[in-house]
Amino acid sequence: MAVPLSSLKEGESGIITSIKTNPAGRRGRSWGFIKRLVDMGLTPGTKITVVKSAPFRGPIEVSVRGSRLALGRGMARRIFVEINK
Amino acid sequence: MKKKLRIALAGNANVGKSVIFNQLTGLHQHIGNWPGKTVTKAEGTLHFKGYEIDVIDLPGIYSLSTFSLEEIISREYIAFEKPDLVINVVDASVLERNLFFTLQLIELGTPMIIALNQIDIAQKKGIKIDYKKLSKILGVPVIPTIAIRGYGIYDLLAAAVKAIEEKTAYPSKIRYGKEIEGKIEKIAIMIREIGLPYPARWTAIKLLEGDKKIQEEVRKANPEILSFVQEMAREIEEIHGHPCSTVITSERYDVAGRIAREVQKIQPISRIPLSQRLHELTTSRVLGYPIMLCVVFSIFYGIFTFGDYTSTCIGDFLYSFEPLFDQAISNYVVKELIWNGVVEGIIAGVTIALPYIVPFYLILYVLEDSGYLSRIAFLMDVAMHKIGLHGKAFIPVMLAYGCNVPACLGCKIMETERERLLAAFVVTLIPCAATTVVVLGLVGKFVGIKWALTLYIIDLAIIFLLGRIAFKSLPGEPTELLMEMHEYRIPHLRTVLSQTWFRLEEFIKIAFPLIILSSVIIKAIELSGLFGLLSALMSPVTVEWLGLRREMGIALIFGILRKELTLIMLATILGTTNFGAVLTSLQMIIFSLITMLYIPCIATIAACVKEFGWKKAIFITVFEVLFAIFIGGIVFRILGYFGLP
Repeated sequence: MAVPLSSLKEGESGIITSIKTNPAGRRGRSWGFIKRLVDMGLTPGTKITVVKSAPFRGPIEVSVRGSRLALGRGMARRIFVEINK
Repeated sequence: MKKKLRIALAGNANVGKSVIFNQLTGLHQHIGNWPGKTVTKAEGTLHFKGYEIDVIDLPGIYSLSTFSLEEIISREYIAFEKPDLVINVVDASVLERNLFFTLQLIELGTPMIIALNQIDIAQKKGIKIDYKKLSKILGVPVIPTIAIRGYGIYDLLAAAVKAIEEKTAYPSKIRYGKEIEGKIEKIAIMIREIGLPYPARWTAIKLLEGDKKIQEEVRKANPEILSFVQEMAREIEEIHGHPCSTVITSERYDVAGRIAREVQKIQPISRIPLSQRLHELTTSRVLGYPIMLCVVFSIFYGIFTFGDYTSTCIGDFLYSFEPLFDQAISNYVVKELIWNGVVEGIIAGVTIALPYIVPFYLILYVLEDSGYLSRIAFLMDVAMHKIGLHGKAFIPVMLAYGCNVPACLGCKIMETERERLLAAFVVTLIPCAATTVVVLGLVGKFVGIKWALTLYIIDLAIIFLLGRIAFKSLPGEPTELLMEMHEYRIPHLRTVLSQTWFRLEEFIKIAFPLIILSSVIIKAIELSGLFGLLSALMSPVTVEWLGLRREMGIALIFGILRKELTLIMLATILGTTNFGAVLTSLQMIIFSLITMLYIPCIATIAACVKEFGWKKAIFITVFEVLFAIFIGGIVFRILGYFGLP
């Protein structure tokens, strides 16, 4: 079952299945939102690991494609991953 | 005559591009902005084997879509200006992500070679890259470099010139999945007929990705192509179950990943490298914040003690010429205009620019280059979100409490134009050290420290509120934090120094004429005896609306030059420093509040002009003046209602 990336604990990893757009956002905006994420390598099928999350519900640090990214929590809520057991 | 060549450096952010740029061009460089844009443009020249080579450092980006101005600038430069060669700087320690960008350059069909940089950092991570194999796959020369040590720079330059001469810089065709490639070709055939300035295959890919800019251009030429593209995109979406632009990007990343796996060997390392341990320490839940506070506080303290000290020294030194000057010129008006106008203006400029901006730029580059800035952004993101900014804005916002000028210049670290403007707007509302002097010297001393604090709280609330409103109303997409946290590394001193120097030069060119001019104008008004008239003209606002004394308007005008002048002039005009005897508490509070809000000083305005152009700088200035008057009047009435004298 796919869960939002934001629900993963530190050290857990999963495979990205989809990125949900903001339902309230206009079409043009959602294009930019998804494009920005996939351009950074968060494409469906990619393995992503949550390394750390900043305190006070801050951004999370993820490891993806051999590099380290900081990702806002709002974004992490819209990235859905399949946890591999 | 020497033959001319043009070479552009392109690549991801933080791959050592600017270090390579500096190693290549040395002191023969010019840093400015792209025409009409807030994006930095660095150009330089060098001479090599009988060529005069112009080198241009394109902004560091991850993709060639249209998310940011930097991306548009880069791709238009490569497509329209057609440099003789693009040197793609690639970070060997994050090969896959960097190759993703390389593939897009290849799509653009530009002649290119690759600088495989930071192979030392890769090695520490246990990564070894077979660069000859990489060169064979991509079909272009690949030169391993360690830019900060100068390793490989000569080879890179030699390879660049050789590749141009022998035309070996044309990459092999990299193909994506069969059914996508088939559709790309079908679209490309139609595109070739309409003759766009971009390569046909690239245009076809961009159309499938839903690129707005390219769609516009194609629509003008032949709108039928767009409906055909839509059909193709729909087919791709049906097969893969994801938006077409996502499928294309995945395709590119898959190819990049495949190439990366083919050429690199990763050996497990026995020891965790220092940079990794530092990263864990500086982002840790327990120690992250204390460390950050220490660093930020020492920076703040360092810049302002150094600044204060040097500023006083330089000021004293320059003022020591005044007696000499007095003797040399006997005409009173000429002397006043030159000394109090021109020279005072220069002194104001010198005492701000050198002591504060130089160390600030240095530290900013060191923070950015070493990688600590991105860790601060990571830690401070939540707090900065409250005023509609994200983590990176913490540095300019914090520095603004010292001086708005460097803070404003520092807004360039934000990613998009929108965020830069938003940050600058917030920064100009923050009370700087000089404003604090006014507030404490007036309200703190004669009304009470509680009231001074209240003023600060009001100001914070206003910043918070206005930040939110500006955040909501500015056009464009609000962006969340999404950034790479690259490995910690030692900044390259020469690059940091030369960046500081060339930025400073740029600032001085804009700021000094402005500062001197406004200083002379104000002096001229004073000498011509127009102050009386001016204060009478201002009295409906100053006296009726704000409840101030008529002369206080003049003091506020002087604040344009430097904020602390409002207090100094107030003393001169009123003929006493015992403000409590001549002003009511309410007048002092309103006066201080206005000083906090009303105008960025002339040097800050100059910084805004440098970063955002005249239009936006004037807009911010006029807005803040009107806003300060508006709020001042309201606070005057509220406090008056509660019976404050």
